[in-house]
Amino acid sequence: MSEGKDGFVPNPVLAGLVGICPLIAVSRSLAEATVYGLGAALCSIVLGAVAPPLRSVIADRLQAPAMLALSSALALVYGFLTRIYSPTIAAGLWIYSPLLAVSGLSLSTLRRSSLPGRIGPDGQSRLGAVAFEAVMFLFSAAFIGAAREIVGLGTLTLPVPGPDLPRLYVADFAPLRILVSTSGGFILLGFVIAAYRTLARVSGRKLP
Amino acid sequence: MSYLGIVVTSVFASNALLTYGLGPVPGRGRDRPGSFASAVALTCVNALASFFLWAVRALVLSPLGLGSLDILFFALLAVPLLKFLSRAASVPGDGLLSRVGAQADDLIVGSLVFGVALISSRGGYTLPEALTASSAAGLGYWLVSTLLESIRERLELSDVPDPFKGAPAMLISTGLMALAFLGIDAALVKGLTG
Repeated sequence: MSEGKDGFVPNPVLAGLVGICPLIAVSRSLAEATVYGLGAALCSIVLGAVAPPLRSVIADRLQAPAMLALSSALALVYGFLTRIYSPTIAAGLWIYSPLLAVSGLSLSTLRRSSLPGRIGPDGQSRLGAVAFEAVMFLFSAAFIGAAREIVGLGTLTLPVPGPDLPRLYVADFAPLRILVSTSGGFILLGFVIAAYRTLARVSGRKLP
Repeated sequence: MSYLGIVVTSVFASNALLTYGLGPVPGRGRDRPGSFASAVALTCVNALASFFLWAVRALVLSPLGLGSLDILFFALLAVPLLKFLSRAASVPGDGLLSRVGAQADDLIVGSLVFGVALISSRGGYTLPEALTASSAAGLGYWLVSTLLESIRERLELSDVPDPFKGAPAMLISTGLMALAFLGIDAALVKGLTG
C-alpha cells in the first residue's frame, strides 16, 4: 500500500485485500482474531527487519527457500508462544497458526524485501511501511473479529492469558449467528469494504 | 468414511475456500480458473504436497515426537521439490503439461496448498485417504473459483452500486455460495456414502 499525496495510506486489508481469506476463517471471536492479527503483524515486521540483510549473505538460488523457511520458523515460534499464552486460543487457531508462514502479509513483506535499497520509491523506509501495514492488519483483524462476535453472538471474548477466556455479554441472545460462520464472515467483510470505500470517497481519499 | 464420502466432503461440505478460507481472493480476474490445466494443476499440487507432508509427518516427525514442526520441514523439503517439479514440467510451448507446470509454480507458495496439506496430514487419514482428500480439495477449490469467475463476469455487466463493485460484490457472492454449500453436511454425506 503506497501513501497518497495527502499522506493517506489505504488499509491493506480493506483496500488491498491482503490475507483476507484465512482472516475470515479465523476471526470468529475478538480473542482469536487479535492473536492471529498480532501473529501476522509480528511475523511480517520480523521478516521485514531480518530478510533484507539475510538476502545479502545468501546465494540467489537459495534465497526463496531460505526466506520461506525463516517465515515458517517464525510462525512455528509464534504458535508455541500462543500455546503457552492461552491453550484455548491456540486450539482455536488450529492450522492457521502455522499458516502465518504464507499469510498475505508475510508474502507481501518477502516480496518487498527482495527489492533493492532500504528506502522505497515514495521516499519512505521499507521497514516503516511494513510495520505500518502490519499494525493496520492487526487493528483490522481485531475490528472484524469484534464485529463478528458482537453482532453474531452478542458476546466479546477477551484475549487474556490462560485456558479460561473471560466473555463479556453485550446481548443476552445471539443476534445474527450466521456471522460467526465463514459464509457470514465473507458477507460481513464485503459490507465493511463497501463502507470503507464510501467513507474514503466522502472524505476525498483515493483508493487503489 | 468411504473414498466417495471423502471426495464429496472435501469438494462440498469442507470446501477449502468456503469452509476453511484457504486460497487467494476469488474472481479478481487475474487468473483463468476455469481451464482444464488449472484443475489438473490444483489436483496434482495438492496431492503431491499432501503426500510429502503426510510422509514426513508419519514416518519421521511423529515417531520422534516432533509432529508440530511439520510446517518447517514442509517449507524446507517439499516446497523446493515441488517448485523443481513444476519448473521441470513447464517446458517451453503451449502444451497442457507446460500450462499445468506454470500454474502449479504459482500455486505452491500459498495458503491453499499449505493448508490442504496440513489438514490432510493432521486429519488422521491413511496415505490413500489423504491423497484422495487433498486432490478433491483442489478440485473443490477449482469448482468454486470457476463458479465465482462466472459470477464476476455477470456482475461486471450488472448495475452494481459503486462501493460494491469488484471485491465487495465478490465477497458477498462467495459468502452466499458458502451458505448454499453449508446445506451439504459432512454427517449427511457420511450417512449416504458410508
